[in-house]
Amino acid sequence: MEFAWTAEQTAFREAVIEFARRSLRDDVIGRDRDGAFARELWRRCGEFGIQGLPFPEEYGGGGRDALSAVQALEALGYACRDNGLLFAIAAQMWSVQMPIHRFGTDDQKRRFLSRLCTGEWIGAHGMSEPDSGSDAFSLRTRAERRGEDYVLNGTKTFVSEAPVADVFVVFATLDPRKGPLGITGFIVERDTPGFHVGRPIHKMGLRTSPMAELVLEDCRVPAANRLGREGRGAQVFNDSMEWERGCILANALGAMERQLEDSVSYARERRQFGVPISQFQAIQHRLVDMKVRLEAARLLLYRAVWAKQSDRDPGTAAAIAKLVVSEAWVQSGLNAVQIRGGYGYAVEYEAERDLRDAVGSTLFSGTSDMQRNLIARSLRL
Amino acid sequence: MTEPTSMPAVKQFILDHFLAGEDPARLTPTTPLITGGIVDSLGLLDLVMFLEQQFHVEFEAHEVDPAHFDTLAAIDAILQRKRAQ
Repeated sequence: MEFAWTAEQTAFREAVIEFARRSLRDDVIGRDRDGAFARELWRRCGEFGIQGLPFPEEYGGGGRDALSAVQALEALGYACRDNGLLFAIAAQMWSVQMPIHRFGTDDQKRRFLSRLCTGEWIGAHGMSEPDSGSDAFSLRTRAERRGEDYVLNGTKTFVSEAPVADVFVVFATLDPRKGPLGITGFIVERDTPGFHVGRPIHKMGLRTSPMAELVLEDCRVPAANRLGREGRGAQVFNDSMEWERGCILANALGAMERQLEDSVSYARERRQFGVPISQFQAIQHRLVDMKVRLEAARLLLYRAVWAKQSDRDPGTAAAIAKLVVSEAWVQSGLNAVQIRGGYGYAVEYEAERDLRDAVGSTLFSGTSDMQRNLIARSLRL
Repeated sequence: MTEPTSMPAVKQFILDHFLAGEDPARLTPTTPLITGGIVDSLGLLDLVMFLEQQFHVEFEAHEVDPAHFDTLAAIDAILQRKRAQ
């Protein structure tokens, strides 16, 4: 068992940190307040090669292995304070690009994956519906084959990046009686007739990653845009969810490391009762808990990515990682606020935003309770 | 009774994934898997994917009918039909 990165991987991590500090700094406090997405920063990430990291070079990707990609995303989380931007990038990579890469045709990869890898386009993923969230396969959006097209009707909700995305991976059923085996995936371009972005959804955190509903009204999607086989959308969805659960919180590891370093610095400088507060055992224990959670979360996430990459019980490993990393991020954010007292609660010091952003991680890609259900299933309970 | 060729592998898959800890002798060629509540709709997806990978066949959407996969005998029958095509 080897726990060290290679010299090349370490050098790339440093390059990502330098890129983020140089090119991704802007008024994130203001954009968080306004709920504004930073398309220019997205474009810069694409130019650097972030969105394409684990995808083939022939489609504009970087050709790196998934662990190296995750390491780079972790570095971004450390050096870039816009958690919403990084969430948007990761969501696209694992729930839009990855299913196109693994289940798409060569034509689909040329038309869509290449533009997503370079940052030219933004991709979004539509699965949840008003009446199907955790019970994802009870979706009601219908697909009907008519000649060379499929006609889609239904509504999707909680679609991250819907207001700004150019292309969408959506799931619909050809026959609700077949349950998961009736579901089929489709790639829908924004300008497709019958496709509309619905009302925006305002959120507690990750506000720089805009969210909205999608409305499909007699939306005619060419059969060439079907993603995977008819009736195998659940397979496509499950596979991409394993990638997403395992990888989407890589930036949270970097964010937790940044929170820890900032909190240690603050505790050393902040004096109360005549001494730095770092000398108080209560503060020390909070900092130690942050460190221990980070280290455990990091190992579980790396192991989940390794398991998916090498096809060794990827589902359970991803669920465990998602559960532990997301809960650790919330606790880390709460500790960072508590250590700073009133300053932690003030917007200008940025600790409260990290905490708000972290809460979403216990909900998206399956709630913490759904991760526990997946782990319970692996125990044959 | 001599089991047809697909049965041992499919039986082992069912035992491993849906009947862990159960007595293998209780899973017979006519045990109802889906209508008997052993394999749910998500499990059927896993079963179909296993069959396609293990036996190098592809089931079209219209062929994935629970009736075709409800017993080891039914599974063997549809596999034999697919392989004969």
